[in-house]
Amino acid sequence: MSNKPSIKKELVPVLFLTIVVCIAVVALTLTNDATHQPIEDGKASATVALLSELFPEMTDYSLDDSTAIYVIKQDSDIVGYSFSTSGNGYGGAIDILVGINKTDFSEGNIILRGISIISQGETPGLGTKILEDPFLSQFQGLNTDNLALSQNGGHIDAITGATISSSAVTDAVSSSVAEKIDDLRQLNLEVS
Amino acid sequence: MSFFKNFNKGIFKENPVLVLLLGLCPTLAVSTSLDNALGMSAAVLFVLISANIIVSLIRNFTPEKVRIPVFIVIIATLVTIVDLSMQAFLPELSESLGMFIPLIVVNCIILGRAEAFASKNSLKDSVADALGMGVGFGVAIFLVSFFRQLLGTGEVSLFGVGISLPGLSSNPMAIFILPYGAFMVLGCLLATMRYLEVRKNG
Repeated sequence: MSNKPSIKKELVPVLFLTIVVCIAVVALTLTNDATHQPIEDGKASATVALLSELFPEMTDYSLDDSTAIYVIKQDSDIVGYSFSTSGNGYGGAIDILVGINKTDFSEGNIILRGISIISQGETPGLGTKILEDPFLSQFQGLNTDNLALSQNGGHIDAITGATISSSAVTDAVSSSVAEKIDDLRQLNLEVS
Repeated sequence: MSFFKNFNKGIFKENPVLVLLLGLCPTLAVSTSLDNALGMSAAVLFVLISANIIVSLIRNFTPEKVRIPVFIVIIATLVTIVDLSMQAFLPELSESLGMFIPLIVVNCIILGRAEAFASKNSLKDSVADALGMGVGFGVAIFLVSFFRQLLGTGEVSLFGVGISLPGLSSNPMAIFILPYGAFMVLGCLLATMRYLEVRKNG
């Protein structure tokens, strides 16, 4: 074997890898084209499903882009507002959709329609009970003044063995309502 | 070696998880339910077979120096295809497997088989090897999931159909659903495999 570097020997591996990468890029582009639309559709229909779970009477909704608040309509009447928030659970982020009834939004008159969990990574069998009814239904029709765990003087009973998950959800809902309240009032004035 | 022999070795004698101890990360992480186990095995089986086929087909032209990068590009492409297709057509499964689908790229079973087997053997043998290893991985993750779901939730279900044990489902041993439960189940399975092997070989 000669020690002289041969151009061919040096070039072939580079060319080979380049060709492999080019084929991979083409394959991925085609896959992305084929799956992009279904993925987007899936996300959109998941949002609609979650919103109509909170507002069964919903016939239409629109998204206010600047505040990221969904306006929920029945025929042409506004029945409520909804927005998503995120809490820090035991197994990563818990994404929550919060539904608010339409009221005049005066102090002490902010009523939750309910909440639903968009995605979570909590411990199966323990933390995942935040997806189920004894816990979730506690938020239905709740005045946001009482929005805290009962151990902190509120009206939400934590799940036994899943205090972190329970308080993550409760705190996220509570702080997001406080954060969004000005936007909600503003939006409520504009659209009605 | 015959097709059947190559297939068979992956399931018992050289089971990737229970004997070679490869691919432990997904085996431990997503084995909380049989549905997850099935989805994960299908994804791994698909990537493993496709990667072995491609690597075996190009084995005579692949320059020695760049073979690992080439294998990784092939595997990463296949995994991304699986990931995107799952998000598009099986969103629920994709949600529950989460991060572990993209992580198939670094699953040692797949690069290991490409490097150790498919890059040196014919197409037919490579397919047999991939099928055997894929099914072996599936069997292992299925066993782990079965015991974790049974002990941890008191019920065993696949596609929503299942049985629940009356005494256990009201009072399940949640430790088996938690990560350390996975290690305990896997440890017992490894010990069982070892016991069977020692008994067989004397």
